[in-house]
Amino acid sequence: MKLIYEKSVKGRGGFSLKEDNFPYKDISSLIPNYALSEEEKALPEVSEVDVIRHFTKLSKLNYGLDDGMYPLGSCTMKYNPKINEKLASLDNFVYAHPFTDQRYVQGSLQIMYELSEMLSEITGMDKFSLMPAAGAHGELTGVLIIRKFFKDKGEKRSKILIPDSAHGTNPASSAMAGFKVVEVPSNERGGIDIEKLNELMDEDTAGLMLTNPNTVGLFDENIEKIAEIVHSKGGLLYYDGANLNALLGIVRPGDTGFDVVHLNLHKTFSTPHGGGGPGAGAVGVKRELKEFLPSPIVGMSNGEYIFEYPTKSIGRVRAFYTNFPVIVKAYVWIMSLGSDGLREVAETSIINANYILKKLKRYYKPAYDRTCMHECVLTGREYKEFGVKTLDIAKRIMDYGFHPPTIYFPHFQPYAEETIMIEPTESESKETIDSFIETMIKISEEAKTNPELLKEAPHNTPVGRLDEVRAVRNPKLVFKGDNDK
Amino acid sequence: MRYIPNTKEQKEEMLKEIGASSVEDLLKDIPASARVKGKLNLPSPLSEEEVKEKIYNISKKNLDFFFYKPLVGAGAYRHTVPEAVKAIISREEFYTSYTPYQPEISQGNLQSMFEYQTHISRLTGMDVVVPSIYDGASATAEAALMALRLTHKNKVIVSQLIHPHYRETLNTYVEPHDTKVVEIPYKNGLTDIEKLKDSIDNETAAVIIQSPNFFGGIEDIEKISKIAHESGAIMVQVIAESMSLGLLKQPAKMDVDIVAGEAQSFGMDINFGGPFNGYLCSKMKFIRQIPGRIAGETVDKNGNRGFVMTFRAREQDIRREKATSNICSNHALNIVAGNAYLSLVGKQGLKKIAEYNVKAAHYLRSKLLESGKFEQIDYPFFNEFILKTDNKDSLKEKLIKNNFIPPLDLSLFYPELEGFMLFCTTEIFSKDDIDSIAQIIGG
Repeated sequence: MKLIYEKSVKGRGGFSLKEDNFPYKDISSLIPNYALSEEEKALPEVSEVDVIRHFTKLSKLNYGLDDGMYPLGSCTMKYNPKINEKLASLDNFVYAHPFTDQRYVQGSLQIMYELSEMLSEITGMDKFSLMPAAGAHGELTGVLIIRKFFKDKGEKRSKILIPDSAHGTNPASSAMAGFKVVEVPSNERGGIDIEKLNELMDEDTAGLMLTNPNTVGLFDENIEKIAEIVHSKGGLLYYDGANLNALLGIVRPGDTGFDVVHLNLHKTFSTPHGGGGPGAGAVGVKRELKEFLPSPIVGMSNGEYIFEYPTKSIGRVRAFYTNFPVIVKAYVWIMSLGSDGLREVAETSIINANYILKKLKRYYKPAYDRTCMHECVLTGREYKEFGVKTLDIAKRIMDYGFHPPTIYFPHFQPYAEETIMIEPTESESKETIDSFIETMIKISEEAKTNPELLKEAPHNTPVGRLDEVRAVRNPKLVFKGDNDK
Repeated sequence: MRYIPNTKEQKEEMLKEIGASSVEDLLKDIPASARVKGKLNLPSPLSEEEVKEKIYNISKKNLDFFFYKPLVGAGAYRHTVPEAVKAIISREEFYTSYTPYQPEISQGNLQSMFEYQTHISRLTGMDVVVPSIYDGASATAEAALMALRLTHKNKVIVSQLIHPHYRETLNTYVEPHDTKVVEIPYKNGLTDIEKLKDSIDNETAAVIIQSPNFFGGIEDIEKISKIAHESGAIMVQVIAESMSLGLLKQPAKMDVDIVAGEAQSFGMDINFGGPFNGYLCSKMKFIRQIPGRIAGETVDKNGNRGFVMTFRAREQDIRREKATSNICSNHALNIVAGNAYLSLVGKQGLKKIAEYNVKAAHYLRSKLLESGKFEQIDYPFFNEFILKTDNKDSLKEKLIKNNFIPPLDLSLFYPELEGFMLFCTTEIFSKDDIDSIAQIIGG
């Protein structure tokens, strides 16, 4: 499809502007010579009609959640309710300037305050910051809080423990916060190797970052023991909330010993992923860490919502306060479900994942053959002998109208290789799930009988398999041609 | 529950298939002691009508902000957001999709990233554009970290006229890395270049300057770049008001090495301060140290043009603790908004809108000075400027009464500037609006 630049026609435009009746003729009298651009910037020239048609066409090259099942493991691609979008776009929220006197933004502050309180109740934490813009941003915030906590106590702890099954963001966030990352292996049941943890946890270690259920879809049955080991050496336990969906109303991380949590509101709390954001990565802490939260947080005093400034804050991690519309959407979702609804979400997601595991494990060997939580991790190992990689299986899935599951993650030896991580969420019906299962079985047969079909896949998509190596070897990161072609 | 399709009967059927007698059988790994006792203490669930009524009512506790034009910008600018932009980002294919890890069914997002990278490259003159870092503040912080990695030095020089929130964010990000942050004071509305010369040395990794600066002032970036480069430091330009790029020189033409920008002015509503969309640009030679997702052009197996995420070996999912950043999700949907906006306004529009902004701000300033009620500081500016008043409380009150959000009280961030207000005007103000503002607070 043509680029917008290739649709440009000299003299066209798609904007409107008030009449300029200011008493200045020449802009060069107002802007110093050293700064004024000598030429016009070569943006495209297209009308509003051109733009709408262009983007509508572009959109049709994308696969969205409203197009069908999106079983990306660890991404929780659940339905994004339409009422959430509507209520996040109310004028009084959209046009609120962040430097407006608090008296005039009581509505915005109320939403922030009440969402924080509800998240505290759901997770068993004491106070939340809504400042982080994404999950990894929340991790960085959380790990910086841990760092500052020890600094404040006069302790210098240089290491942080991270399981081999963790998301890449965990070690990356820890490194950004100045910690040395030490990897903890998984045991034969898919949980943390307790003996290893015992060996590694010492007084130079700030704590452990843990996703629970973890990325192989399993609840770590030793969680209480893990918390005890970490706490006995004075460490803190960090909860990566990427997989909280499985635990809503069933387990609160704060009750199982976690000291800091981050939540991906764009996963568990139904706000859309936007093609990769914006989401929000709320961070919750136990009471003793409250004063380290990013500043400001929203509090309440004499019936009025106010900004509060934690005394030992790590500082800011962004400008202003939060990704506000995301906050509204999460708030509306919780209000729509209530306590029973949240529990039903968790239970349904667990049933759906186990149903897929049961039906597919004969065809794709699971990383761990156990009851799973909200997602199951299968592998494509057995098809290697036919020359078919997991990647080929994923590409073939697209031909049947589904988004592929997460592949090659988690990745650690010897259990998790050639992984296919499937998270159906609570949003998919049995009929859709059955059809997905049938497709996966069919592909497993194709892998044996017609491997070329998979290796050449996808066949029914807007473009075929793309050459990623070429993109690096011969980098083209911007359009270099002239306009008006 | 209206968002859960499976009926009770279907769930029972599925449980039977799994071989479980109830959902409890699936929760056996969870120790009883870890379970929630009873129910979460949350409000009773609301129907769609009820939740709508509730949120509409809460929103009424804010002012009816559409009718209050803000005389404050300070990093959050109320420009016109065309309805066409909103229609485009309301398409489910854009807002409900995931990160384009599967390029064959994500060409919409990937091509849009590529087009937007081209727009930003043409505005800034830079070779490499990362189209989304969360916001201008985190982009500035990432630029500092990038310069530290590139130079293996440990000092960064930061102008005090960088947005205070950006500076705070930068401090948070560099704090764990034993970095010395030196702030350069301002003089007459611009960064004090003499003080910069005194502070810079061979240990300086980066000189970080915002232009237009927090007071709206237009810095002489070329001159500052020269000073930075003479000491072997990387020159970083921060741009909080990207509308200025419609009129001002490309940073690349002023020898800037890294640009950390905020693109909120390109089609994004203010939304109480977020989500906006940061961008990061650099010269090609720095690409392996830049953080964040980049789209690149390639071909598919049939030789047709297509786009992928590229230079992925920098990213956290591949490099883990050795990645250039932890950034994963960014503000991708705002790339689509920015692309749609810049396509709509195009070559002529962006320049005209930028000119309008400059003229409106200069006109307001001259009208206020005519009243004799303000003290001035003279410096070249874009769409923001500072003036001193002796009676800021009555100024704020009068403006709110007349449906304008007051300018920023600078003493909040610069205690030495008691009485100074930071004014902003954009294309949403007509000349008549400005005449009446001058009447309200100058008359």
